Amino acid sequence: MTLEIWLLFAAVLFAFGIYAVVARRNLIAVLIGVELMLNAASLNFMAFNRFVATDPATGQIIVLFIMGLAAAEVAIALSIVVQVFRSRGGIRTDDLNELKG
Amino acid sequence: MTIPVGLLMALCIAGAFIAVSAKNVLHAVFGLAIALLAVGGMFLYLGSPFVATMEVLIYVGGISVAMVFAVMLSQAISSVDEGEGWVRRALGLIPAVAFLAVIIPILTNHGLPPAPELPAAAWSVEAIGRALLTHYNLVFEMLSVVLLLAILGAIAIAQRPRKGEEETS
Repeated sequence: MTLEIWLLFAAVLFAFGIYAVVARRNLIAVLIGVELMLNAASLNFMAFNRFVATDPATGQIIVLFIMGLAAAEVAIALSIVVQVFRSRGGIRTDDLNELKG
Repeated sequence: MTIPVGLLMALCIAGAFIAVSAKNVLHAVFGLAIALLAVGGMFLYLGSPFVATMEVLIYVGGISVAMVFAVMLSQAISSVDEGEGWVRRALGLIPAVAFLAVIIPILTNHGLPPAPELPAAAWSVEAIGRALLTHYNLVFEMLSVVLLLAILGAIAIAQRPRKGEEETS
């Protein structure tokens, strides 16, 4: 396994995340896309950490930080989803259009 | 024993495909769990059992389960979205394919260094813990503050309005 294969795989995973964020209309599905993108970034960090890092602990620690921030982000986002469902009766992204010009 | 990485990658792609294409959001969450489990296995292959464990604990055990609860709180489990029209899917495919078209030539045309074999001691949990509590101590503590604020914010956002207060929207 070379570094390139890992980076290409992470890029494919990131592309899946982009597609989900842009195309899906359910708020939770959009959140799933964000998680896929964060995992692709984590995978990149771990691959670089494995192959080119001088200090092998650094990449793993950054991945741990990404996980902590992802947990915080999901907690906030899911509470927003629940609140949107309560106030609007649905969690489609099309329901959220108050800021439309 | 070697971990079949190609199998893990195929599993991860399959899970990600389910996660982005399933019409039932609950199925999408399960696809995400499959993909994240495979990513955890890849972390194991990349030499870090600790980060792989955390991946399974936090993502599969925490985030996926929280998403399942959010699905249950926001819609009927068996409900199926009408799905996206082909225009919407094309609009989603354009940036994804454009990203791949830009990034793949960059990744393949530049000589990346070959993999050196690292000593196993450098990958120990001990090294991670020492770095977390010395060099990265400030970030570590800030992350705990961020998590605390996220918990408080989630409670504040998701709580029902008190009786007597008007619903604003």
